[in-house]
Amino acid sequence: MSQNIPEWLAPISLEEALELRARLGDEATVVAGGTFIGILMNQRIIAPRVLLSLRNVSELAFIEPGQDDGRNQGDRKGLPLRIGAMTTHRAVERSPVVRQDWSIIAYTFSLVASPRVRNQATVGGVLADADYASDPPALLQALNATVIARSLKNGEREIPLDELITGYYETSLRVDELLVEVRISGNVEHAVYRKFRSRSSEDRPCVAVAAAKVDGKLRVVVGAVADRPQYFPEICALADGQQVDRELASEVGRRYAESIDPISDSRGSAEYRRRVIAVEVRRALEEMNP
Amino acid sequence: MSNPRVTGAIRYAQDVEFEGMLYASILRSPHPHARILRVDASAVPDSVVVLTPDDIRELGMYGCQIKDQAVLAADRARFAGDPVAAVAAPSRREAEEAIDLIDVEYEELTGVYDAVEAVSQGAPLVHEHHYISDNDAAYFGMRPQEGTNICHRFRIRHGDVDEGFKHADVIIEETFRTAGAQHAPMEPHASVARWEGGRLEIWTGTQTLFNLRMDLAGIFNIPENQIRIIPPPMGGAFGAKTFVRYEAIVACLARKAGRPVKIVLSRYEEWLTLNRHPATLRVKLGARSDGALVSKQVECWVDTGAYADCGPGVAQKMGYAAVGPYRIPHVRVDSHCIYTNLPPNGAFRGFGAMQAVWASERAMDMLAAKLGMDPLELRLKNVLVDGDHFCTGELMHDVHFIECLKAVANKIGWADNRQGKGLCVLMKGMQTPSRASIAVEANEDGTYTVRCATAEMGQGAWRSMRLMAAELLDVEPERVFFPEPDTDIVPYDTRTTSSRSTYMMGRALVEAVRDLKQRGELGYGECVNKGGLDPDTGQGIASTHWHQGTAAAEVRVDEETGRFQVVKLHSAIYAGRVINRSGAELQNEGSMIMGLGTALFEGITFAEGQPTNANLSDYNIPAAGDLPLAFSHDLVEREGAEVHGLGETALPPIPPVIGNALYSLGIHVIDLPMSAEAVLNAIDRRQQRQGMDAGEEVDRNKSREGRLEAERRPYIPEAKGSQG
Repeated sequence: MSQNIPEWLAPISLEEALELRARLGDEATVVAGGTFIGILMNQRIIAPRVLLSLRNVSELAFIEPGQDDGRNQGDRKGLPLRIGAMTTHRAVERSPVVRQDWSIIAYTFSLVASPRVRNQATVGGVLADADYASDPPALLQALNATVIARSLKNGEREIPLDELITGYYETSLRVDELLVEVRISGNVEHAVYRKFRSRSSEDRPCVAVAAAKVDGKLRVVVGAVADRPQYFPEICALADGQQVDRELASEVGRRYAESIDPISDSRGSAEYRRRVIAVEVRRALEEMNP
Repeated sequence: MSNPRVTGAIRYAQDVEFEGMLYASILRSPHPHARILRVDASAVPDSVVVLTPDDIRELGMYGCQIKDQAVLAADRARFAGDPVAAVAAPSRREAEEAIDLIDVEYEELTGVYDAVEAVSQGAPLVHEHHYISDNDAAYFGMRPQEGTNICHRFRIRHGDVDEGFKHADVIIEETFRTAGAQHAPMEPHASVARWEGGRLEIWTGTQTLFNLRMDLAGIFNIPENQIRIIPPPMGGAFGAKTFVRYEAIVACLARKAGRPVKIVLSRYEEWLTLNRHPATLRVKLGARSDGALVSKQVECWVDTGAYADCGPGVAQKMGYAAVGPYRIPHVRVDSHCIYTNLPPNGAFRGFGAMQAVWASERAMDMLAAKLGMDPLELRLKNVLVDGDHFCTGELMHDVHFIECLKAVANKIGWADNRQGKGLCVLMKGMQTPSRASIAVEANEDGTYTVRCATAEMGQGAWRSMRLMAAELLDVEPERVFFPEPDTDIVPYDTRTTSSRSTYMMGRALVEAVRDLKQRGELGYGECVNKGGLDPDTGQGIASTHWHQGTAAAEVRVDEETGRFQVVKLHSAIYAGRVINRSGAELQNEGSMIMGLGTALFEGITFAEGQPTNANLSDYNIPAAGDLPLAFSHDLVEREGAEVHGLGETALPPIPPVIGNALYSLGIHVIDLPMSAEAVLNAIDRRQQRQGMDAGEEVDRNKSREGRLEAERRPYIPEAKGSQG
């Protein structure tokens, strides 16, 4: 038998998974849905010696309304939400809880690839892969979501999405940690996600714009245009205490386009992306305030 | 009847298994152009069979039209992906690992990656000499140009174009480009070879079993009857599974191993195997002020990649298809099939017609705009009708362009409003000359066995044959048996390409059934279409049977991003008499969807000869969600008419109808695919033109053409006084 067939470890509890993670560290590549790792292995870009699969860790597949922190007052806003890392995109998209209270999340996950991919790909996987061209990270960051990372040694650590993705396929997760959960607070009004595809309907975004009002503050995050989702609090602050009209929406769009240094790839050149960012950010803000 | 494709019962080439079979893997050159100095396989374990250049030097060269390919790139790799060595091991994984143990020393050479550059002075030569193939796929006069990268040159000389342009009131000129594309069949290339008592047997997904057998006989220097080719049904082919692909490599490995050997390509390798020809076409078209066409000049630069394959044929068909189905007194065409250091390009659904029709039908709308004429009127005025002669001199019969044009114009509401709408008409030739033969046997139990070489690749050819046979024999289709093709048991057929099977094999079948009725037990029928073109004048018979089609589209454009939606897409294809209705409809729909991919986003990209989007994430093919809001087609039928091939006709018109729809909004896109970015750039140019018009009086066509002339005019050496 060939020595290059990776060892497949499939723990059935989180505790066991964390132990393996602590023991093997970098030696094991963590696999959730496998839609990304599978491509990398098939293309022989990576050749892991050990695969640590979380597929059988059923306690990580859940969608639950979170604890109401009491800040939710006035107009009805979304309830807090917790999504387990091994929840598939399809489960999020079809969950009655998500569809009722967080239709923007259900909608965004429904835009990813095709049903076949969404039946495999997981919420934890898409965040931990930190692929620049994925849809969910930009939205979750706009919603000011956090993730829970666990390790055997240090227990739980809550990381804001703002700090999770640090570059191309890089996160602030530590080598003994597993991403176990995503948390979203309930204090979100009006959220929109605009996926601009330059090619097929099943393509990844050329420019993705997520915008939300969280705790009364505007958060605009642009995905798929650089190594990590792009968020500029100082530009968003232009909207503090303001009704976002077309002029302000255009201004925010223009400044985002100026502040981002876009990449060129098969979906569009940097120059093209810069123009689309200005348009799509403006449109997202207009959509928020019809 | 359950469909074996749906139930999974079908056995593809990759499902063929033998006891003791080995699995092949190929070591490919990482360099687009390099001398191979040394291949060292000493580190490969003894359990693995290795094929290196030294094993194949004694073997013959192959190539269906130009004999330019060795089983392995022995001394020189001509594209990034050119097979340099191969292995066969007990498992696929072991084979892949063994590949990494082979050490090759290369000396990199300068490459050329663009067909127009490849014919410029001082361009590196991809092949030193051009040898014309003895395969019967080399069915026309080859005109390779020694000392250049041109492996075939095709010309049409009809009237005197220079004189014609003198009489034109309006002339337009433009250079169009089309991108390379991947066929992307669901089933990749797969072959299994074994030697039985000195006889070679190959199970392989192929549309061209007899051409394949001819080339293999030449490689191994054995009689053709010592080779048996069995093509199981394929999971899509679209032209990719033609001629020799990896059959020679697995046959060599099997002979060396003394055991059967199988190869199944990875998706990535599909991009290194065969793609569609990128092309540059320059069109000059002149008309009198009443819209009557007077003169047309076309030049084609057809990039065939590192090996000619059937590129000469593609260049020839592109050349005459670019004239279009029009009466034009003066026509000059120069089409060149050109080597570059890119993966080979070959047959692709449409076979040169797509590239030609993109340029030709976009040019018609440019001319209509300059004449201030309705593009439909311009076409109706000039389109060929029964009794006209095409520029090749052949007499046209069974012509239905006007009927098809009116059908699409009606469907799209052309008379109401032309904004955002485009239409087009095309004629596509069928393989001429060619020969189809078929045998029908009456069995004792009242059933019939039909033997023919027509390959089933998902197009439904076997169902159509069975329906035709059942009708002719006056029995239930279930009583007609159709053994899978096998060169040992089926009579000769040119190949399953160019939408010819239903027509050609159908006619042969009529003869076979007539023969059977006379003889009682066994009937044999043959259909031969004669013709061909003189490669130096383009005179003769281009096609004995013309595929005729039209389409129309309506688009809605997001002017801020260039993204546009195809709101309506309709095609009307002349079908004559329909045999297999659902099959005919699916062919039209499939062709249109494939055409959408070509129109909107398909394009293979390279960086210095290295493919940069050779996977189905970076390279998109159409998904269900990409279909237009209204998507429909007509099969234009005539009672008692002859059967017409339908496999490809609806593909080539799709890009130009969308391009023309954009053009009706002033958005002039000349290169395929029409990406959102390209459209936005075209919108910018329109704004600039409008700004210019408002500011000063300029002849915008003149200034634009002048700029194009300077920037885009490709250079091509004219081989003076050469006739081949």
